[in-house]
Amino acid sequence: MTTGSAPGDPVRVLLHRHRTLCERAVDPLEIAAGLEADGITDRTVARCRHRDVFSLAEELYARTPYPGARPPHTGDGACGGSARRAPSAESRHPRPPGAAGRRLLARCAPLVLPLLPGLLCAGTLAWSVLLRDGPAAVRAALCVLGTLTVLGSAVAALRAVPRVPRAAGTAASSALSAFPALCVCWLAGYALYGDWLLARLLGGGPDASSGAPRMPSPALPLALALAVAPVVWGARGFASAARRRLAGSRSLEDFAAAVRPLLALSVCAVAVGLPVLHLAARALATGPLAAAAPGAAPAPQIPWPAAAAATGALGLLFFAALLLAAHGFRRAAAAGLAAACAAEAAALLSVPVARLTGLGALSRPPEALVAHLGTAAVPVAACGCAALVLLAYAAGALANASAHHRGAAPV
Amino acid sequence: MRIALLTEGGYPYVRGESALWCDRLVRGLDGHEFAVYALSRSARQERTGCWDVPPNVERVRTAPLWGPEPGGAGVRGLTWGSYGRREKQRFRECFGALAEAVCGAAPDRSGPDRSGSDRSPVDRSAAGHPHLDCAHLDCADLDRADLGRSLAALADRSATVGTPGSGAGSARPPADGQADRFAAGLYGLAQLAAERGGLAAALRSESAVRILESACRAPGAMPAAHAAQVCDLLAVTDKLERALRPLSLDWYGQRGGDAGLSDADLCHAVGAGPAALPGLWAKRTFGVPLLITEYGVRLREHYLASAAGAVARGVAGAPVRALLASFQRRLAREAYAQAHLITPGNTHARRWQEHCGADSARLRTVCPGMDPTPFDAVGEQTAQLPPPGGPRSSGAPTLVWVGVPGPAKDLGTLLHAFARVREAVPTARLRIVERPDPRAPEAADCAPGAAADGGSVPAEGGADRPGGHPEGSGGYRAHCRALAARLFPALPPGEESPVTFDELGSAAVPTPADAYALGGVAVLSSTVEGFPVPLVEAMFCGRAAVSTDVGAAPEVIGGTGCLVPAHDPRALADACVALLCDPARAARLGAAARARALELFTVRQNVEAFRSIYRDLAQRPAEGHRQPAPGNAGNAGNAGNAGDAGDPSEDAVPFARPPESRLRGHAVTTDTRWSGDPVVDTAAGAVVPGADGRRPVGRPGRRAAGALTTGAGSPHVPSWARPDRGPRESAGGPRPAGRAAVGAEPGEGTAP
Repeated sequence: MTTGSAPGDPVRVLLHRHRTLCERAVDPLEIAAGLEADGITDRTVARCRHRDVFSLAEELYARTPYPGARPPHTGDGACGGSARRAPSAESRHPRPPGAAGRRLLARCAPLVLPLLPGLLCAGTLAWSVLLRDGPAAVRAALCVLGTLTVLGSAVAALRAVPRVPRAAGTAASSALSAFPALCVCWLAGYALYGDWLLARLLGGGPDASSGAPRMPSPALPLALALAVAPVVWGARGFASAARRRLAGSRSLEDFAAAVRPLLALSVCAVAVGLPVLHLAARALATGPLAAAAPGAAPAPQIPWPAAAAATGALGLLFFAALLLAAHGFRRAAAAGLAAACAAEAAALLSVPVARLTGLGALSRPPEALVAHLGTAAVPVAACGCAALVLLAYAAGALANASAHHRGAAPV
Repeated sequence: MRIALLTEGGYPYVRGESALWCDRLVRGLDGHEFAVYALSRSARQERTGCWDVPPNVERVRTAPLWGPEPGGAGVRGLTWGSYGRREKQRFRECFGALAEAVCGAAPDRSGPDRSGSDRSPVDRSAAGHPHLDCAHLDCADLDRADLGRSLAALADRSATVGTPGSGAGSARPPADGQADRFAAGLYGLAQLAAERGGLAAALRSESAVRILESACRAPGAMPAAHAAQVCDLLAVTDKLERALRPLSLDWYGQRGGDAGLSDADLCHAVGAGPAALPGLWAKRTFGVPLLITEYGVRLREHYLASAAGAVARGVAGAPVRALLASFQRRLAREAYAQAHLITPGNTHARRWQEHCGADSARLRTVCPGMDPTPFDAVGEQTAQLPPPGGPRSSGAPTLVWVGVPGPAKDLGTLLHAFARVREAVPTARLRIVERPDPRAPEAADCAPGAAADGGSVPAEGGADRPGGHPEGSGGYRAHCRALAARLFPALPPGEESPVTFDELGSAAVPTPADAYALGGVAVLSSTVEGFPVPLVEAMFCGRAAVSTDVGAAPEVIGGTGCLVPAHDPRALADACVALLCDPARAARLGAAARARALELFTVRQNVEAFRSIYRDLAQRPAEGHRQPAPGNAGNAGNAGNAGDAGDPSEDAVPFARPPESRLRGHAVTTDTRWSGDPVVDTAAGAVVPGADGRRPVGRPGRRAAGALTTGAGSPHVPSWARPDRGPRESAGGPRPAGRAAVGAEPGEGTAP
């Protein structure tokens, strides 16, 4: 055979020929398997003065020089190695040229989609301004249509958040996902109409003469719809940044230490962004869209800091729930949302219940809260407390590496 | 018998490994009831559909080893599966043991294995000094001795949970090191899964990652594990969850449902990978004997796939590959250690199994079989009409090569060799018959053994390796044609070219038999080969063969052909010329080859071999810790694990358990039957198994007295005729009478 001309050391020749195999091998058996797959027969093994291919592979494994790729205890070399390997693998498989446009679209869609609810909501309000003298049926249809499109686009935007894959059996998870959706709808509904309803209840109960329920200002739905954007961006940014930390961190403690500031940063960004958005929505609503809600009282009933705080608390709760749900803690997210719903419902129900049963003590806390801080204090307290609890839970849960693992291996 | 066929990426799926073999086996042994338990490897495999199972397959159950975890719904945090605090603690202990064994440096085999993988720089420089190395390792083992003890106690405790007092005193000695820890962890997890249903949530939890991390950072871990990063740990736990998924399945009849594996008389696992996991657990819990068949060694395939993945995509970093390889290695080792019988397909597989700790006394090579009928016409023709010394009636002496062209087949060497042949025999011709690529979708390989032998794996692996030919099959074909055109320039018209390329299935060569009928001598020039299917076909056709000395070719060809070194055109040419110039010898060799192939490599031989193996395993003395009811499967009696594994003398007791004892209604004890006692008291017989089971531990000498007192066995049974079942039976509970007769088919012993 061709290796017969090797002077003294046939193993060295073999080592040279199978260098990549030997350098990549994780143990001698892998070299043995690779050697056999490359057609090493017993003759070759015998020429190397070995009994079988296993002992030959062990000698090869022992004699392979590892250029810093396998340090005994520190992981620096391996880190560099894996980091270096990724781009090379990328370049080895060039993407087809036609996919560039699709890639761009895939890149941009998550950035643009969250803005869609805000835009649609603004559009709806603008149309209602234009049609303010139109027939009532058209206006109602516009309202329904606008609500549906805003909700649909919000769902589409939430899809942009990367999440852990669902299990194969989706029966349980569909029931599980309908409940948080209901909670979200309830919370949003309370944000729009809850204050009005609570004020009515506290003011002597619902009477038919007060007319249709109305929201305090068109700024509220606009602010809520606009809030989808920072929430989704924040969750997405956190997820991708955590994935990057995951690739680079060496131990679980390192990872947790790197992720906690990330979480704090994203929460702060959302918490700051929401009131700013609320102010913007308010400016928009008092300016060009002021005539959107014709029956609305010209003077806002609620001072803007309270309204901004309510929107902020609600957005923060949504953000925390979204973060948890996207990382697999769906039950915790649903529990937080449900707790906020329950608190608000309890505040609403306590007033008529106290009136009907004569237990005045029941309605005293909401009354006191409203008396001191206004009606907006109820959603602020409910959503804020739930959001804080969820965020505290997330600070512990999302620092776990397993929460950021998406089962990258396809097979 | 009821046979549970355990496959992984195999049988019921059309594109599975060894699927054809399994199909033949199941159809051939139609006297047995089969239940197929299949693990699928990918969604693609599931999409390709299944074989039609024959009627003696009573059920087919499948489970995916891919995709998201079943039923977990990705819920984390608040619910940790359905685990309570104690279950969590048990999971931590068991998974810790498993992780430590997987991360551990030393494969538990004395010898050069150790020097290979536990290498500090000092060790590497001192690779030639095994003493130093062993000393180093022994220290490491001592460090972990206390953990081993605690784990043995843990295994012991879990053994006693189900039936108190059954597993006492049977804990394995902790001295066996990491294999023991691996087994303790594995069975502990299986136990947990059996009781609590599902490991997936626990294996994906943060605490599993933490355990794995601490195991990787432990002082005795292998260097690659030390380098593992967070993403590596996550990838490893992910893969481990998939690999351990068989433990969480409801195949064991433990949580209601059908009886599953607990009712089987034999577990036949195809491959010692995850497919063997249900068999291991069934053996441990219910005492079902385990038979492992490997035509391609699963561990070796894992290594090749892992290396190919590293080359191709770079997805799996070195730590992941090292840890997963370690897991697979330990799993295979445990499977080999626990199997009652292992049937490799050839010497090569056998060598791997022996290297991985299989006891050679329990290895029995069963050659893969092919269907000889398509070749009978050609083969009989040669056998009946031996050419009388002159050249064949077909005229020019012709060499035939049949196969899938590829770099591993080394057609270049063949063409160069044929150029030399032409110098010696100017009239010689070479017919190259190309098969369609079996990897192309739905190109059903007409070679029946191709799927059975797993032999295509090394060839494909070779082609995928970086050193392989970069082009595809089509490119290689063009390359070969160009080489042929260069070596044998165009002749004047009217004269045929000495080298012709034909496609199998074309009008000229419709079947493989026709291909071999074209020439007098078959040539195989592969450099890499598993089980050489073309060689066996040529032998069926009664053609003398010249083959390279690769893979299983030597054991296939035996003395009925010529073997030459690979990559050596001169030797190949000399052998071909010798056969072409002596047609009488070629005919003799061909006849001998046909006789040999008909004896060794037919489907019938393969099926009959497994029939007798099944019979042997059925006749084994029953496991003592066979559980009466699937409900209290908890007492994973690790009793008898040390003893029943490898006692060849025990296997050698002939007719210790006649097949009739498994018939329904014939509750006959083996001893009574064998002793020639003509009176079979059925009432006593019904009692006997129970009494038998309660027999105290004793040496064979004392057992006669015990039998006397119980009145069940005959006192004059010679001791050599009785299986030595004392220690095992003492460990398990009493065996119910019905258990002995379960699963027997009336005609089982003589079924065709």
